[in-house]
Amino acid sequence: MDKNMKILVVDDFSTMRRIVKNLLRELGFTNLDEADDGQTAWPKLKAGGYDFLVTDWNMPGMTGIDLLKTVRATPETANMPVLLVTAESKREQIIEAAQAGVNGYIIKPFTAATLKEKIDKIFARSTT
Amino acid sequence: MQNGTERQDFLAKAKQLVANIEANDDRAAAELLSSMSHEREESLFKEVGQLTRQLHDNLATFSIEGQLSSLTDKGIPDAKERLNHVIDMTNEAANTTLNAIDEVLPVTAELQESSDQLLKKWTKFIGRELSLTEFKVMSGEISKFLDDSCKNTKFVHAKANDIVLAQGFQDLTGQIIKKVITLVQDVEESLVELVRIAGSADQPQAEVKTAKGVLEGPIVPGIEVEGAVNSQDEVDDLLSSLGF
Repeated sequence: MDKNMKILVVDDFSTMRRIVKNLLRELGFTNLDEADDGQTAWPKLKAGGYDFLVTDWNMPGMTGIDLLKTVRATPETANMPVLLVTAESKREQIIEAAQAGVNGYIIKPFTAATLKEKIDKIFARSTT
Repeated sequence: MQNGTERQDFLAKAKQLVANIEANDDRAAAELLSSMSHEREESLFKEVGQLTRQLHDNLATFSIEGQLSSLTDKGIPDAKERLNHVIDMTNEAANTTLNAIDEVLPVTAELQESSDQLLKKWTKFIGRELSLTEFKVMSGEISKFLDDSCKNTKFVHAKANDIVLAQGFQDLTGQIIKKVITLVQDVEESLVELVRIAGSADQPQAEVKTAKGVLEGPIVPGIEVEGAVNSQDEVDDLLSSLGF
């Protein structure tokens, strides 16, 4: 896994963006950027250069699930790994995310170990 | 509508009216008509009066009107503000804590680095591998290290205290949230009472359904959400059952 890959962290709460970025830095990732909802994230993703998207679900403007669907529907970003980190815990929502093509699903509150495990799994799968 | 005597009275008056008209006594007929319509008005007023009285008594007994309007005028806007304040306080506490950690981590990294280097030299000194010049350099480094350690540990201690103080938000937000819980209970009681007064309390309660697409938010202990998982393990199991 390339520790220099560019990661976009999307969450409407600045604290959560900070926590996720700190955890990613602890895991050795240094090329981090952030956005506060899908609407501000999408222009960044469309402009290119990102390798991995970590996003919340419930955000004003554009939700994480809509962002995921947009990413999958656009040829340039269709193959980008996407990890949802959200407080939403209903089965139908997890299934909806899976059907939309999410690569990992973490429910809040979560631990550093869970984040590491899911990222390892996503990139182990994508390289094999 | 009318009892027997009233009916007979009414009939007698009607017959009298016909007799008056047949006798071409217009004045008597007009007088009779006006007295009959006056009686009718009086009974209507009586009924309206009775209904008004009943409504007034009901409202006075339960004083529901005042209670509900004070809740909607003041209680609910207050609650919104309180909850916004909870968001602000938790945000501030999280930032204070993260800032303190951002400042402490480089200091501890520096302490670790200089201890590592000194330990290497010290091991050489114990093994009698250090020259006099190197020993003098090491002595200077030890003095500086001890001096830095004192300052740095004081700094770390102060930051640790900042983190402890920032946790005060838990107490404060807890109190605020308890007030909001009480308010919600008051609203609930008032609404139940209102339903009872409206006379539909006997009717079966409508099933409350969660609208599709509504986000439930964080798992709250004690609140069961239909179809929700309770842990990351359940999420993993669900996803692996879908072929993940």
